[in-house]
Amino acid sequence: MTRHRPSCVLLVVLALLLAVPAGAAKPIAHREVLPNGIVLLVAERPAVPIVVVRAFAHAGGVLDPPDRAGLANLTGALLTRGTTKHTGPELDSAIEFVGGSLSTAAGRDGMTASLAVLKKDVGLGLDLLAEVLLTPTFPPEEVKRKTAQIQAAIKRSEEDPGTVAGRALAKLVFPGHPYGVPVEGTVESVGKLTRDDVVAFHAANVRPDTTIIAVVGAIGVDDARREIQARFGGWKPPAEPPATTPSASAGAAPRNEAIEKELTQATIVLGRQAIRQTDPDYFPLSVASYVLGGGSASRLYSRVREEGGLAYAVYSYVSPARYGASFSVSAQTRTAAVPKVIEIMREEMTRMMREPVTDRELRLAKDYLIGSFPLRLDTSSKVADFVVAVEEQGLGLDYADRYKERVAKVTAADVQRVAGKYFAPDAFNRVVVGAPKP
Amino acid sequence: VVRRSSAVVAVALLLAVVVIASAGAQAPSPAVVAATLDNGLRVLLLEDRRSPIVSFQVWYRVGSRNERRGATGIAHFLEHLMFKGTPTYGQGQFARLVEQNGGQDNAFTSQDVTSYYVNIAADKIDLVIDLESDRMHNLRLDAKDIASEREVVIEERRTRTEDDPGGFLGEEVSSMAFKSHPYGAPIIGWMEDIKRITPDEIRAFYKTYYMPNNAILVAVGDFKAPAVLAKIRAKFGRVAKGPPPPPVLAVEPPQNGERRVIVHKQAQLPIVYLGYHVPNQKSPDAFPLEMLSTILSEGRASRLYKRLVYERQIALEAGGDYNFFATDPNLFWFWGTPMPGQTPETMEKALLGEMEKLKSEPVTDEELQRAKNQVEAAFVFQEDSVHRRASLLARFELIGGYADKDRFVERLRAVTAADVQRVARTYFSDGKKNVGVLLPRP
Repeated sequence: MTRHRPSCVLLVVLALLLAVPAGAAKPIAHREVLPNGIVLLVAERPAVPIVVVRAFAHAGGVLDPPDRAGLANLTGALLTRGTTKHTGPELDSAIEFVGGSLSTAAGRDGMTASLAVLKKDVGLGLDLLAEVLLTPTFPPEEVKRKTAQIQAAIKRSEEDPGTVAGRALAKLVFPGHPYGVPVEGTVESVGKLTRDDVVAFHAANVRPDTTIIAVVGAIGVDDARREIQARFGGWKPPAEPPATTPSASAGAAPRNEAIEKELTQATIVLGRQAIRQTDPDYFPLSVASYVLGGGSASRLYSRVREEGGLAYAVYSYVSPARYGASFSVSAQTRTAAVPKVIEIMREEMTRMMREPVTDRELRLAKDYLIGSFPLRLDTSSKVADFVVAVEEQGLGLDYADRYKERVAKVTAADVQRVAGKYFAPDAFNRVVVGAPKP
Repeated sequence: VVRRSSAVVAVALLLAVVVIASAGAQAPSPAVVAATLDNGLRVLLLEDRRSPIVSFQVWYRVGSRNERRGATGIAHFLEHLMFKGTPTYGQGQFARLVEQNGGQDNAFTSQDVTSYYVNIAADKIDLVIDLESDRMHNLRLDAKDIASEREVVIEERRTRTEDDPGGFLGEEVSSMAFKSHPYGAPIIGWMEDIKRITPDEIRAFYKTYYMPNNAILVAVGDFKAPAVLAKIRAKFGRVAKGPPPPPVLAVEPPQNGERRVIVHKQAQLPIVYLGYHVPNQKSPDAFPLEMLSTILSEGRASRLYKRLVYERQIALEAGGDYNFFATDPNLFWFWGTPMPGQTPETMEKALLGEMEKLKSEPVTDEELQRAKNQVEAAFVFQEDSVHRRASLLARFELIGGYADKDRFVERLRAVTAADVQRVARTYFSDGKKNVGVLLPRP
């Protein structure tokens, strides 16, 4: 399939999902804290007989020891590869035989186990979910196998200019912080990981007192609580307190990096540290980013794509996370047009510092950011991801309403002020992946 | 519909197809309201009141299969231009109005269809009816817009094909596998054609294929069907019916021997593709082929993953894929990315070995039952999204009738292990394979 607009739009949508929560008079989910510290979130959606569960533990790549990059990722990938009751292939067969899915993966901040089953299979699904989180055995041959697969996937990802650029940029934006290190690690760092590392990481970090479980779908609060308590109620936190990570400190002086590849098109990414939702300026920044490069009516889309025909993909976005945030501007263009596209990016960022955005642009951005949220919560999976994200980032289940209020209040002067703070082109790191000359 | 551009994309598309190939036989739902307007526009409406939103989709029966040599990519090029404005809604207005109303829109072109969607708050449906009916017949197709959009499409081709090893190889294999039928040409078009196609050709293509009697309109969401149908009649009813578009006459001749292409490109790992000509849904064999695709690729317990990725550890990824919904007979694909240290020869041999196994012994009862359960469950899961519900209705309508989606599960349920073995024997013969190998240059 070939699409009108790039699927990178999906990335933006995901970023917005975190950034642009929803809300309604009725709370989006029921919340309670179980005796062992698990935060249970339940959102009943009775119409379709399915149940979606997300279990999020604060066990992401940020907790990798400095010389063990990729440990959380390897641990996450191994959770489904064997438990005290079942081998990996037995787990696969059990869940897939009922047409369900169970997967586990680590991200920067956490490790997520995702379950989707028909309502009739919710007991089986939760049994397996509890098994993989609580009693994984990390069989040595599985550790070896998964290590090799991750190394191969890292190697292959070097083919993807977007991935290469993203990794290089993260390193420049978050020097010395775990956010600057790829969650999957490097071929070398993953090669040094041992089964003992994995066992210790799991024991220390996958624990009830940092775990959020969201249950969404054809199940009510009482049933959900009973089913979760029955399987997770006896889960005890370790004696040591949960590990913490410092927030990212200000970045170093901005740098430029060129990565040479034999490509017909260059990937350009500009990036810097920004702010997260707890900062009041986050809301004007979201609006500013939308005006600059958020949608198909944005300034960069208009100038770079519509008028210039210089790119298929061009956008800007704020990526908030628990320990820091970044703001990025990105495009893919033919090798010869790299200087021109960078120049347009810089001009448009500068223009947003210099002049207020027009009323029309401001209204469009606010109307979209506020008006589009029902689309972000129209499936059980999206609701589950959303409630986990607001809980995990400490935003509160009413964040959606506050978000709408805050965005609605943003003025053109606010946008110009935050552009002044965050859009100065010289403060951005820059990575270009591509051929050195056309 | 599915054209792989990389192994990863193939996995994603495969899942998408499996999900698509799954309609809600179980979840009770209000009936589809179906109508055909006097001008031939087919309309399917389904009320779904769970969220205050609507997915509004217009599918045109035109894709790269309707293109002629020398003008490949024109269907997709036109899809881009559908966002460039009409005399009523000028440059950029479509996207601006949709965004301003909190909506999201996009479009895609496949070998068989071009599809446009807007997902938006249900109370904005009048706006979408206005916009979509307007651009069905009123597109400006200004030479200046065409010139700038041409460059955008060229950039898209660079991303998808020139700089993507999987996309690059897939294009080579398709063009080798089809000697006569236009499925051999890339959806995005050959670079030379994208650069050459003239505004007049695009205008003629628009006139030939964009008309109510060549389109299907599907909306699923929070509305009252009779009221929406009346509005659709009022707006789309004004668009004139056109002469039926010319049929695609090309029939791919039988393949008379193995074909092979080897591509050298900067890449980290080799890729192996195998393609076999198979029938589409008009044949009863389509159901066993659909089951076979699920057995081979759906999930970690699926055959190719379990054998080649997990047990033998020779592949980073491996799978098989069938396009049940293809308008004309298309290819059944197998693909594999060898692990570092493994050769493409080993990969190819392993894929062929799995094929031989399919021919020599029936799949197990467990495999077959699992695949059936997966497809049935996927039908229920897709009910959770109005967008997917609408797409699925359109897919079935395109191949004969939306109501067929209810029979689809029954037909799949009836497939036996012997059926699966028979289709493997019939279509996966050595002398009829199309092999593509990408050898990485550092």
